[in-house]
Amino acid sequence: MLEARGLTRRFGGVVAVDDVSVGVAAGELAGVIGPNGAGKSTLFHLIAGHLRPHGGRVSFAGRDITREPPDRRARLGIAIAFQAVRLFRGMTVLENVMVGAHAWTHHGFWEAFLRLPRHRREEGEILARAERALERAGLGEAADRLAESLPLGQQRTVQIARALCADPRLLLLDEPASGLRAGERERLADLLRGLKEEGLSMLLVEHDVAFVTRLASRITVLDHGRVIAEGPAEQIRDDPAVIAAYLGRSRERADGA
Amino acid sequence: MNRLRRRPLAFWAGLAAAVLSLLVPIALNDSQLTVYVFIGLSVIVVAGLSLLMGFAGQVSLGQAAFYAIGAYTAAILTRALEVPPLLSLAAATAFTAVVAVAVGLPLLRLRGHYLAFATLAFQLIVLSVIGEARGLTGGDTGMPGIPTLSIGPLAIQGQYRTFIYAYVTWVLVAAVLLFNRNLVRSRPGRGLRALATSEAGALAAGVPVVRYKLQVFALSAAYAGLAGGVYAFFVSYIAPGSFPVLLSVQFLIMAAVGGLGSIWGSAVGATVVYLLVQLLQSLGTGPGLPPQLPAILSYAVYGLVLVLIMLFLPQGLLPAIQGRISARRAVSAVESPARLARLD
Ligand SMILES: Nc1ncnc2c1ncn2[C@@H]1O[C@H](COP(=O)(O)OP(=O)(O)OP(=O)(O)O)[C@@H](O)[C@H]1O
Ligand SMILES: [Mg+2]
Repeated sequence: MLEARGLTRRFGGVVAVDDVSVGVAAGELAGVIGPNGAGKSTLFHLIAGHLRPHGGRVSFAGRDITREPPDRRARLGIAIAFQAVRLFRGMTVLENVMVGAHAWTHHGFWEAFLRLPRHRREEGEILARAERALERAGLGEAADRLAESLPLGQQRTVQIARALCADPRLLLLDEPASGLRAGERERLADLLRGLKEEGLSMLLVEHDVAFVTRLASRITVLDHGRVIAEGPAEQIRDDPAVIAAYLGRSRERADGA
Repeated sequence: MNRLRRRPLAFWAGLAAAVLSLLVPIALNDSQLTVYVFIGLSVIVVAGLSLLMGFAGQVSLGQAAFYAIGAYTAAILTRALEVPPLLSLAAATAFTAVVAVAVGLPLLRLRGHYLAFATLAFQLIVLSVIGEARGLTGGDTGMPGIPTLSIGPLAIQGQYRTFIYAYVTWVLVAAVLLFNRNLVRSRPGRGLRALATSEAGALAAGVPVVRYKLQVFALSAAYAGLAGGVYAFFVSYIAPGSFPVLLSVQFLIMAAVGGLGSIWGSAVGATVVYLLVQLLQSLGTGPGLPPQLPAILSYAVYGLVLVLIMLFLPQGLLPAIQGRISARRAVSAVESPARLARLD
């Protein structure tokens, strides 16, 4: 489904992502973990098209999309829930989710102006799908509230609902569980499992290593922008390089404090 | 679409305003009707500007240039080329939109006040082109003798000329406001509202951000071109002096007063500001007062109104009033009905 090869991205002197390759097979839930600043979010932005890579290629469903802008990638079936929440202020939760339907709908200014048949048909489909996505994400109650009035954790969940409303083929989830309470976390895990059973391909970034290892079949570990380990979840947990990276970081942090 | 349906109160208020504005011309004398037409034309321009500023988050200080392009296109087509007026009006609207696309392609990459300056520069260029192209436009002396609007043999003239123009303008205003309302509650409308607060979020959801921005820019220009065309037929004489930079500023302030992105607010903002300016001009033109006084007064008032709006009603006049009303009716304090009502 997704195939990223040798991706590199620099910010000034910092190499945020350094020659990273990841892949997601059809129907697979793959995980990415790594300490703070490892380059996980940057990698996601490269895959979704919000950043240009300085090297490497991205292909999706057998097609090279390295030069496609993010809105085109969305139409091709890549949806993303950002770590830094990007919702639309002044719009209700339901309206926010409805925007996600841009990926598979078509009607434009004229059809909306003149209320032409395609507008009417699509609006009905958009509303139905958006309501379904909200229910699945467990946000049915909040549909009519303003998106920005929700707690940050739930705003992340609204992003997931928006992504689901796009009817994607690949879902990128950047720390979807952060800011959620234990019960909400369980719900999210259930949702992701359900989506996986339906055959949706997903790439998941989480700080909560236990959360990822429970869900993902394969995990890629990043540190300082490089892949330091890759393989099945059980194997990754015991990998000395991974333990060193995590321990090293926590020791650095302890020293700094 | 029950969830998105407007509150009944707003609906009745809108209906009452529509009926009232339909009845008002009957009670007006000729010079008052002229003001009524000018207010209507301003509403059309402001309805577009408000979409552009409220939804695409772009500021245009050159809207009067599009007004001028519409007016001159309609005038030249009917007077020099003898194209039927109604067809000229349609052509003027379309041509203005095309110019906006050509100008907008490079300009819309600019953000914030850069676009404002670029559109201002665009207006100055348009005005000097009109001043130079004497053969076509009459240069600085202007174009007199523009025919009136007509459908076949039926021309708007005679005793009821202004009265009929008032209704023509009314119909166009109603159509434009209805168009805007339809647009806002649709797929592209949601896309526009989305890109105003997060371009990255909108792109990720598949919204073609650049194309949409260009389309609202063209739309706002088309509205201005349409209003400009009607203006030319109505006043029958146009000159570069009819489209000063001050007019662009005035449109901008009308949009800000009405509330950016507030559809019915465009009508409120345009009316309030137009009448205020008229009032000050009549005060400033008394006997013994310096002839520059009206101009100075209007600049002063524009500045003052803008500052007051930013200080006290940053979301605009109509949304603020709507917010008051629905806050009183609201049961729960968690939701913010003021903001929800904003787009209705
Ligand atoms: N837009 C940017 N401009 C400059 N530097 C950036 C930018 N985005 C990321 N970086 C840098 O790139 C590196 C990787 O950042 P990134 O956000 O991808 O890490 P991350 O693994 O997602 O971290 P976290 O776990 O904290 O979310 C960091 O050193 C960060 O400071
Ligand atoms: Mg991150």
